[in-house]
Amino acid sequence: MIEQLDSLSAEFVGALESLNDEAAILKLKSEYLGKKGKVSEILKGLRNATADERKVIGPKANGLKEEINQLVATKLQKIELEVINKKLEKNKIDLSNRDELWLQKLNHGGVHPRTLIQREIEDVFLSMGFEVLDGPHIEDEFHNFEALNIPSDHPARDMQDTFWFHDPQSDEKEKKLLRTHTSTIQVRGMRERKPPFRFIAPGTVFRCERTDASHEMVFNQLEGMMVGKDISVGNLIYFMKTLLKEIFQKEVEVRLRPGFFPFVEPGFELDIQCLICKGKGCSVCKKTGWVELLPCGMVHPNVLKAGGIDPDEYNGFAFGLGLDRLVMMRYGIDDIRHLNSGDLRFNSQFQAY
Amino acid sequence: MLISLDWIKDFSKLPSNISPQDLGLRLTMGTAEVEGVEVVNGFWKKIKVVEVTEKVPHPEADKLNLVTFKLNEEETFQVVCGASNVRVGMKAAFAPIGTTLPIGLTLEPRKIRGVLSEGMLCSEEELGLSESSEGILDMPADTPLGVTLETLWEKKEDVLFDIDNKSLTHRPDLWGHYGMAREFSALYESDLENPFDESWSQKMEALFNEESAPMGVSVHEDSSCLGYYGLSLDNIKVEESPSWIKDRLLAVGLRPINNIVDISNYVMLELGMPLHIFDRDLIKGDKVVIKEVGEETSFTTLDEVERKLLAGDTVISDEEKPLVLAGIMGGLNSGVNDKTDKIFIEVANWQAARVRKTSTRLGLRTDSSMRYEKTLDSNLMYRTLLRTVELVKKVCPEAQVIGKPQYDGQDLSKDNPLKIDISVEVINKTLGAEISTKKIIDILERLDFGIVHKEETLEVTVPTYRSTKDIECVADIIEEVGRVIGYDNIEPQNPLLNVEPVRLNPLQELRRKAQDFLTLHTQSFELNTYPMVGQALLKKASWPGSELKLLNSLSVDQSEMRSSLIPNFLEVVAMNAKNFDRGRFFEWGRTYHHEKEGYASEKHILGIAYFDKEESQILNLLNDTQRLTKFLNLPIDIADKHPKFKNELVDEEWIGLHPFEFKNLRVMGKMKGCVMSVHPALLKQFKIKGHVSIALIDMTGFEKNAPKAKVSYKPLAKFPSSRFDYTVVMNTEQNLDQIFSALKKVKLAVKCDHKLVTTYQPDQETYVTMAAILSDPQKTLPGEIIKECEEKIINALKKAGFPLKEG
Repeated sequence: MIEQLDSLSAEFVGALESLNDEAAILKLKSEYLGKKGKVSEILKGLRNATADERKVIGPKANGLKEEINQLVATKLQKIELEVINKKLEKNKIDLSNRDELWLQKLNHGGVHPRTLIQREIEDVFLSMGFEVLDGPHIEDEFHNFEALNIPSDHPARDMQDTFWFHDPQSDEKEKKLLRTHTSTIQVRGMRERKPPFRFIAPGTVFRCERTDASHEMVFNQLEGMMVGKDISVGNLIYFMKTLLKEIFQKEVEVRLRPGFFPFVEPGFELDIQCLICKGKGCSVCKKTGWVELLPCGMVHPNVLKAGGIDPDEYNGFAFGLGLDRLVMMRYGIDDIRHLNSGDLRFNSQFQAY
Repeated sequence: MLISLDWIKDFSKLPSNISPQDLGLRLTMGTAEVEGVEVVNGFWKKIKVVEVTEKVPHPEADKLNLVTFKLNEEETFQVVCGASNVRVGMKAAFAPIGTTLPIGLTLEPRKIRGVLSEGMLCSEEELGLSESSEGILDMPADTPLGVTLETLWEKKEDVLFDIDNKSLTHRPDLWGHYGMAREFSALYESDLENPFDESWSQKMEALFNEESAPMGVSVHEDSSCLGYYGLSLDNIKVEESPSWIKDRLLAVGLRPINNIVDISNYVMLELGMPLHIFDRDLIKGDKVVIKEVGEETSFTTLDEVERKLLAGDTVISDEEKPLVLAGIMGGLNSGVNDKTDKIFIEVANWQAARVRKTSTRLGLRTDSSMRYEKTLDSNLMYRTLLRTVELVKKVCPEAQVIGKPQYDGQDLSKDNPLKIDISVEVINKTLGAEISTKKIIDILERLDFGIVHKEETLEVTVPTYRSTKDIECVADIIEEVGRVIGYDNIEPQNPLLNVEPVRLNPLQELRRKAQDFLTLHTQSFELNTYPMVGQALLKKASWPGSELKLLNSLSVDQSEMRSSLIPNFLEVVAMNAKNFDRGRFFEWGRTYHHEKEGYASEKHILGIAYFDKEESQILNLLNDTQRLTKFLNLPIDIADKHPKFKNELVDEEWIGLHPFEFKNLRVMGKMKGCVMSVHPALLKQFKIKGHVSIALIDMTGFEKNAPKAKVSYKPLAKFPSSRFDYTVVMNTEQNLDQIFSALKKVKLAVKCDHKLVTTYQPDQETYVTMAAILSDPQKTLPGEIIKECEEKIINALKKAGFPLKEG
């Protein structure tokens, strides 16, 4: 009987080998394993076997059943795979033909480069506890000039620099204008808060200036202010160095020199070492090795007063940053006018994906 | 402004081992921005006196000679020379190879027609001594051989600092060399020499006498005059200035004219206060009157330009006519000329704002007006007058003062200098530095501040010339100390701060989320456009103009504030359609609206535009807008035009509106936005082919109250739902919304969700296949309930005009 089982196994393997059709394979399987199949037939003879023989034949027969099942399953899987692969081959995708898809649909998007830089700076300052503020574009003389210690005879109030809605020489009560700097937000920020506080204010500003590759009449600045007790020039330097390190992702050489702005005292110009020539002197830095980047200073007592803050109790620092200048530096943009042009040939270069 | 180091050295002995570049850097870091440092006149020490020993014709050229000359008994040189006046025995000026001449030429070894020339014999022109000259410089026969011109003519090498005028806006005291010298002295701790002390004044005053002044001074109160000194001198001889005056004027960029005019410029450049000198014979009458121009009048200034003066401009007049435009420029009619022998010196001070107003209006900014604009100290007038007299006497020893200085204007003796109390602690705390009291006092004293050291505080007396505009409070004193110490010497200090949570405000959060969604999920690019628009664009877009018009716009295309993003968007599409068949962009921008109260209001508008040459993008835009508002948690729903509640951003009568492709975006009953297509007829105006759809959402008002997320969890169904599909017929007058609103009204015993499966339009009618999904959280639905629901739904739709499709 054992021999019978062994020969049956060999016989099945031989028979299966030649088959390539699912139905035929299943039929073959039932010829062996079905109720009246060959294995069952053999096992019928078990009744005549001795107890010792049964001990051997039982497992042997089960092993044969399992073997046949396994062989059939494997064979069927192989056939199925061949069928699928044939189908796949028929519908093969040309992986090199991606451009056609690009052509048919819109596949890119991205924010304005200003947004990219603005977010970076906002995030640096948010992480250091600064709020982010903005204010109206249409302002009055008080917020744009008076409150910032710019007296009525200051050249900044002339028609040249400021877009006016009302004649600055007229007797009208509230002469409206387009804000010429984000410092107006300082004034509003101070009047809405109690010290200590700190905030930044990115925003659009307007200058009555002829436009060219490096001048715009509508551009973006970023202003910052911190007011509290015993704020020092040392603190200002700390925040400016931190900001620059974060923006440029490396230590940047800076220098702080006197600069005159009516709303700060002392006032500074912060220069960074020219990133193009690394301080050796080139056309970008006008051979000086330094690029003017950040006007800043300690808030003028008159400005604090106008903001409703007692300058004997509190002081603070403020700084301004030409956001668009930074955008141009970062991306090597040669003409500031692109920023407001709405030209997708420009904007689509800043694709996020 | 150019500052000469040589001139500075008249007053301040600077350490000699510092390079010109370092001097400039120190000034930049401590006082004012130096834009350039230039070493000039170095050539004088290279050029030497030689004697011509031989002159032979050049073998190759008719007009050239080979000239041999000796520098001393040992050294001889040969040059090729074209000058006709060369002769043997002549003394000439020799510039060797390597010399850079003032005309900008650097001499290099070169062959002229085959003969090597070892330098150059110079002409006056080449040495910058005159504007043109013939032949080479012919020097007196007794000129010693071999000496440099530097020694012979006392010419000096100089260093010029080019200082950024803007950084001197608040420092009128630095508009003269004496003031700059004080800065150098403070920065280098070298002593300032003050030649203008009490004994000097007495020496000058000794020139005054008891004769009656031939020219009086009268200042009208309403004029811009703060004070006016006048002094008459006779026996003046107008001629060329001595070279020490000419050289200094030339060095800082002023053209010498004659000794008297040059002196007035010299004194201004030295002491920072402008002055004017008249030919006294050209003044009619016996006094000058300083007054406002009564009515519009014309006046010809020294530069021979006729200028229109308006009532309110201040002039200095004689009994007939205006002579000088106060603080700005003298008139052609009274200036010093070759024949002048009697002069009248004016040293005056003027109101800064009024000088600036007139000079700005006339577009006439002079060395004088630039200084007066900065607000000068009236106390400086007298010193300026004495210094002028000193120089006139030096240059014209014969000159004679007639009488005493005449003065009219504010009483100068009443001016009390400003005193500021400040503690050393405040200085150090504010700077974040540790500076000793001794050092602080030293710095301030070098800057001419008076110090009285009281127990805790310093009482600082501010020099009057610093307190006209600049120094007024404690912070200003801190700046003086800080800048001399050098801000770069202050260590960065991380402050101790309260920890409080900060985040963007709700509007800023919305903006970031919208930017991210639109770029990542709708393939759009963010743009910025101009907040100002012009009539031409508005007209093209049939969009109404704004009352918010700029008085001084630079261009007709940017003359008023926009009230909508739509005109900008159309312009942008028109431009981009030239390069792209389709595109999507958005802008988070402001629009501006005239208000009775407070003049103007501003809206934060999110605008999105899809343009496509082939097919309308309105459905995509509607869906994307809906997804966006959901992402932003905005309480917005899409609604049709409403007879009563009109859209707040777009006039529903605007001819640019597409007749069918329009939906309101409704926020709490208000139409705060829309999704629409632009009418093809308007697109034609912009030469846009294809389709343009625009969505606008008014985001104003979300600054304070963040929209809240409305997601809530529902337990998952435990029992299977039951679904049946059906198809109804829709005619051309009907739409899908009507099907859904009819279904909404059907009351069923169990929960039912309705879904659109597909639409198919073989002909006029559209077949709409819908699915109804019935479910009960408690049990599996029995067949009869499902049947009942089916019937109710089909009947309801039939009633609403959507019969079941047959067959």
